[in-house]
Amino acid sequence: MDLFLQLLANGLINGSHYALLGLGFGLIFSTTRIVHFAYGPIVTFAAYTAWLISGSMGLPLIVGIAGAVLVAALLGTGSYLTLYRALERNGAPPLIPLIASLGLTIVLENLVGVLFGTGVRTLDVDSSVHFLGPVFFTSIHVWQVVSFVVIAVALGAFLRRTRYGRAILAMTDDPEMARVIGIDTLKVSIIVFALGSAISAVPAVMVLLKDGASTHMGFAAVFMGFVAVIVGGVGSLRGAIAGGYLVGLVESLGLWQIPTEWQGSISFVVLFLMIMLRPQGLFSMARK
Amino acid sequence: MEYIYHVAVLFCLYAILATSFNLLVGFAGLFALSHAALYAIGAYTTAILTTTLGLPFPVPLIASILFAALLSIVIAVPALRVSGHYLVIVSLALQVIVLQVIVNWKSLTGGTDGISGVPTYSFGSFALDTPARFLIAAMLGLAACYWVAWRLTRSPFGRALRAMRENESAAQSVGLDILYMKVSVFAISAGLAAVAGSLFARYFSYVGADSFSINETIYILAMVILGGTGNLRGAVLGAAILVVLPELLKFLPMPVDIADKMRLIIYGCVLMAVLVFRPQGLLPELRGKKAMFVQTDAERDEADTAKLLDGETGATSETVLEGRNLCKRFGGITAISDFSIALRSHRITGLIGPNGAGKTTAFNLLTGFLKPTDGQIDLRGKSILGKKPHHLVASGVARSFQDLRLFTNMTVIENVVVALPNQAGHRISNLFLKPLTVRAQERENTALAMQILRFVELDGKAHETAADLSYAEEKLLVVARLLATGAEVLLFDEPMSGLDQTTLREILPVLRRLAERGKAICIIEHNLDVITGICDEVFFLDEGRTMAVGSPAELMSDPELAERYFK
Amino acid sequence: MRKLIAAAIAATAVAFGGSAAAQNAPKDPDKYRAGAILAMSGKADWYGKVMSRAIQLAVDEINEAGGIEGIPLEVIIEDHKSGIAKEGVSAMNRLINIYDVKAVLTSFSPPTLAIAPIADEKGILLLNGGGTSAALVGATNMMFHNRSLASDLGLAAVQRAKKEGLGDMAQLVWKNDAGDSVVAAAAPYWEKEGHKVVATEFVELGASNIDTQVAKIRASRPDWVGLWLFSPESGLGIRKLREFGVDVPLIGIEYTGDVKEIAGKYAEGYEYASDYFIPSDDYPWSKRFADAYEARFGEKAEFYAANYYENVYVLAEAIRRARAKGGDYWDGRKLAEAIRENPTFDSVYGGSMTYQDNGVAKKRVAIFKVENGEGKFVEYVTLN
Repeated sequence: MDLFLQLLANGLINGSHYALLGLGFGLIFSTTRIVHFAYGPIVTFAAYTAWLISGSMGLPLIVGIAGAVLVAALLGTGSYLTLYRALERNGAPPLIPLIASLGLTIVLENLVGVLFGTGVRTLDVDSSVHFLGPVFFTSIHVWQVVSFVVIAVALGAFLRRTRYGRAILAMTDDPEMARVIGIDTLKVSIIVFALGSAISAVPAVMVLLKDGASTHMGFAAVFMGFVAVIVGGVGSLRGAIAGGYLVGLVESLGLWQIPTEWQGSISFVVLFLMIMLRPQGLFSMARK
Repeated sequence: MEYIYHVAVLFCLYAILATSFNLLVGFAGLFALSHAALYAIGAYTTAILTTTLGLPFPVPLIASILFAALLSIVIAVPALRVSGHYLVIVSLALQVIVLQVIVNWKSLTGGTDGISGVPTYSFGSFALDTPARFLIAAMLGLAACYWVAWRLTRSPFGRALRAMRENESAAQSVGLDILYMKVSVFAISAGLAAVAGSLFARYFSYVGADSFSINETIYILAMVILGGTGNLRGAVLGAAILVVLPELLKFLPMPVDIADKMRLIIYGCVLMAVLVFRPQGLLPELRGKKAMFVQTDAERDEADTAKLLDGETGATSETVLEGRNLCKRFGGITAISDFSIALRSHRITGLIGPNGAGKTTAFNLLTGFLKPTDGQIDLRGKSILGKKPHHLVASGVARSFQDLRLFTNMTVIENVVVALPNQAGHRISNLFLKPLTVRAQERENTALAMQILRFVELDGKAHETAADLSYAEEKLLVVARLLATGAEVLLFDEPMSGLDQTTLREILPVLRRLAERGKAICIIEHNLDVITGICDEVFFLDEGRTMAVGSPAELMSDPELAERYFK
Repeated sequence: MRKLIAAAIAATAVAFGGSAAAQNAPKDPDKYRAGAILAMSGKADWYGKVMSRAIQLAVDEINEAGGIEGIPLEVIIEDHKSGIAKEGVSAMNRLINIYDVKAVLTSFSPPTLAIAPIADEKGILLLNGGGTSAALVGATNMMFHNRSLASDLGLAAVQRAKKEGLGDMAQLVWKNDAGDSVVAAAAPYWEKEGHKVVATEFVELGASNIDTQVAKIRASRPDWVGLWLFSPESGLGIRKLREFGVDVPLIGIEYTGDVKEIAGKYAEGYEYASDYFIPSDDYPWSKRFADAYEARFGEKAEFYAANYYENVYVLAEAIRRARAKGGDYWDGRKLAEAIRENPTFDSVYGGSMTYQDNGVAKKRVAIFKVENGEGKFVEYVTLN
């Protein structure tokens, strides 16, 4: 039972992490329908930037986080303006951006290695261990959950209360209609790329603090973000959150009785069943 | 130079993989990203059968093909339920699961160590143990696989695949068997990938799970997309570029510690640049006359066309399709209730009513696209309840869609030919066993399609891409495609909407002529001029209920209806 | 007649002597070219960095000292993208056909297993200094390993646990051939000792999240945890186990700069069995290498660096020995033969090392304990 509770806590903590990744990825994907795989190496870049500022240069962590957010937002916007925009203009069919994005992923991932060198980077912060009954967790775990809640609430407010937020929601609903009613879809696309990438910098820094950053950390990030979005239902940010938590919990609790050598597939089995049984996702915007 | 032969062998393997993946992705439009898993199955099957059982060639190869084809049916199951991004994710999930099973099934697959010592091909004392010699086997494999893919795609089956890719429900509506096409294209694509896998095992003599990761699937996908989806030569070209480019980059001198990363950066940049400047891929899909695989100048006498256009009944009007007390509920919402209709030959029946009245639902029920919650449907007195749309088309009930659903990236004549009934070339076995029959029939069908296009006066645009037609021409093409099915009951969903008066005057007589020749016709229409102009009987629906039935004149004179609907 | 016999004898002597002389005169190439197939990109590129640096260092040292008997040595570095078999084979083909190498330094199991048949066929000497899983032993008799078998390291670790009188064991294992071969050696040993293996949890290579594994290990309440992981996951394992309050002894099989970086303060007290590479004044060569490496690359030399550095010197020495026999000596098979005939070589670890019949060099395995972030030598282990 203690193990179950611990795994439950782990699942919720990881779920927050995946949900945050899902929010960033989902914002971009649901609005522009671009499978932005390079989201992964941008996460890596953000983590290494935070390490460079706060670890190597010794500035306060908050400066490091700010730097990471800035770099991620710039890279995200840059990839839209230089790559995806050019593809859109040349009338590329829907899955071309996905392949182009993979090309960008290869470039960015290796660029991290060239710029920052290989090997793991860590940043030591004072993290204490807490326990709640039999359940252990560290202060970084708490930060993961808190950062997710804060960002999710802020993002929700932004989307519902501001003009640009509503424009994003409109475009998520129906890009054609958004264009018809006079929304500047170019501007909205730039905003979601900047915002989605900026959000991804936060979980990136958390990984740096928790497990250390490595040049290939981005793959898991984009994959889990993507999975959270699909499980939750494309076009729904609430869905991305629910998807993130579901994947986190299943990945953790699923291994309660199953040997851990199956860890790599368990979330995929769930994903598989999920899509087969409920292809519209947990929360679906699909209207018939 | 052995090294060059080695690169050539690699090219052959990837050209097979890209060609087989192109069948799935380019032609059938099924983005099932689990190709490397099937490649792995092929490689492991050969490795296991040769090392543990010592079976001689060609048994392991055949077993690899069959086993991969069998497994691919598991992947086809999700593809029958989901599409688009969902299929991408589900198949990626399957890829991960298959690989993990391989790694964890230590007793059979050697686990993380993999399987070493797979023997290469040897015939007597002649062993294919150098890259140069192995290249013979690799090239034979590529030639065979390419030939199979070529046979499939340059055929009625290949055209049907592309139609399914363009629009699945429209493909069903012209009588194509989606289940058969999906399962068989998955199986063949998997079988071809397994050939590459089997060659891999023989060539490298070592099989390990690292060689078949998601990255490998993505690498193959990049070849297909770079070269051009839906173009067989394109995928081969894509494979050539993506195999050779990294090797060429190896000759760029660079500082050792970052050399291989810099090479990958350049590789990624080249990939992006090509996609930006050639978003359709290097070689586009064949269009215009090249899309056809027989000559189109063959003539055909009028009598045959007449037979196709005629209903099979005599001059008297009789009930062909009858729906009784049909009812359809979605969750708590009743879309249509207690709907009874009889469609008769030589007659045009109209369905009118406001949006959401249940007209399209009625069509969906009558044509098998939806299953009624309650009620009975008979075709010539026999129940057709629960039959699939493509079966109904074959039995003589076909429909069009309000939103047209043309096969937009195919030529006008292809849109028509694909709908013609009883094509031997829609069965894969016939392509390989009766190629001459298929070819002869295709020649006839092409001529017939030209006749139909002439009937709707689109013959001048036969080889243009459907996407380039004007709206009125698209509507005419919808009529032509529906005619091509040869069905005696034709259901048109708003065939006239959005057309100007001139075009209306062109299409109305076409429908009238069809009815005169014995077809039973049903149309959904808002334009009262059309209704009064051609309908023999009109059903007025509102909120799922049949409010009134009668001749157009009777309905127009009903004061209540006039108040609510006709103003 | 005597003249004739004398002439015949002379002719025979000339004939034999001539041919003998021809056999003895070594056919020298302009340059000795060897290759190295390493993880230069991909998720384990840390290994490629360390190994390629050490190789460069050794090659430069040898050439600065005038090459191998006056002939310069060159090592061409190729990439297997962190363990992809196909990439290894392509690299091998390039090395053989374009650069005409006779020896290749290899790493990682899958590419090594895939190039082994080529080495056999073409007669290329293979020198491996990375992790050695059981599958590599005996893959070809052209291959020699200067790193202890992963399973031997595991055995050394459990023997240490036995000596400390520890009880039930939990294992955290790398999900690859190396991890599996440690489990295969360590778990039966420990059960034979009358203890239980209470948990065996697997970690993917490049895993970022192992919280579940750690929670399961904690719940199994072990008396100690065996960390059958390599860099950098061993660091992650140490850190997570400690963070989650698992305070029993941790015994592993690796401690590198990356492990130290990740584990940080939690590494304190961690014990590990490893090839004994500690530069010391007793062994001037080890000291000289460690200093040169640090001066040039700004990082401390890992034992992986030491192994590949050493492999270059093994190659150089094998060339010298083969050359002494003369003839067409610049050939992989001749080199392998030279190693097998006299399998003892100087070791950068100190003293010498000897390749056993299976091609694996018997190196001294020692137990280390981390104190103030550095591994401190505890004792040598004799495997039984």
